[in-house]
Amino acid sequence: MTWIKAKLSFINARRHPDELTREVETELRFHIEMRTRANVEQGMRPDDARRAAVQSFGDFEQVKTDCCEIRRSLPFDSTPLRMGLHITTAVVAGLAALWAVNVPHHNFAGVMRQLIAIGVLTYLLIVVQRARSKRAAGSEHVNSVLATPSETFPANRGLTSYMSDAPSPKITAYDEEGRTPVERVFKS
Amino acid sequence: MSKSKAGLLQGTLDMLILKALSLGALHGYGVGQRIAQISGDALKVEEGSLYPGLYRLEQRGWIESEWDVSDNNQRAKFYKLTRAGRKQLIIEEQNWERLAGATKKALRAV
Repeated sequence: MTWIKAKLSFINARRHPDELTREVETELRFHIEMRTRANVEQGMRPDDARRAAVQSFGDFEQVKTDCCEIRRSLPFDSTPLRMGLHITTAVVAGLAALWAVNVPHHNFAGVMRQLIAIGVLTYLLIVVQRARSKRAAGSEHVNSVLATPSETFPANRGLTSYMSDAPSPKITAYDEEGRTPVERVFKS
Repeated sequence: MSKSKAGLLQGTLDMLILKALSLGALHGYGVGQRIAQISGDALKVEEGSLYPGLYRLEQRGWIESEWDVSDNNQRAKFYKLTRAGRKQLIIEEQNWERLAGATKKALRAV
């Protein structure tokens, strides 16, 4: 049920981007309103309270954009879907090329089919090349994640601990089988 | 007590949001307040940064939201934990316990 809701939410976000933006804005403004009230209750003047609330919230527009982008992103890992698409494209392109090449080339139809074959094979090459460059970019990203985990992962951004003077830890979390996160990703 | 900022392990914010929501449905502002409350004011979520976290968890299906009216009669979006979120919280807690135990062990090594 939750899965279906997530899909519907994704579709709605895509179909009604303005509505999504308004919704996010309303939610964030409510937060600022609540913080303003709390500041007033603590003895601040309304103007100062609002100013402090806006300031403590941070970059409103950036947060709004981030939230909208998350809602517009696919609610599942799209890698298998994209791989399937590439494979289907390759099979269709190959079949089309066979169909086009396997004809006598002394008439107009034959020449046209050969031109189509060249076009399809060129397209196939471009698709393969793009997939390879994306994969290369992906592994570069993984390397940068491994090098500076705290800067790259946004998951923990914004959480501040007031417990110790220790610097940001870079610790590998082993699972029950003693695998590191990288091993979990690449050996699963 | 002198307070200084320190980074925390990745995924801690997600776990804390799930924990806060396991105690009942809350709007975004309430989530931040509850995290501060249950940590005895030791942890403070930078306010704007909380929302991308909430949206990310909702996207994963661990929390869900609906619009309702808040205590001060304003329209607000309330979040609550889903069944998948409850299971995820248990996993996160177990991972955290294991990591904390391992860290403690490492620090006691001579």
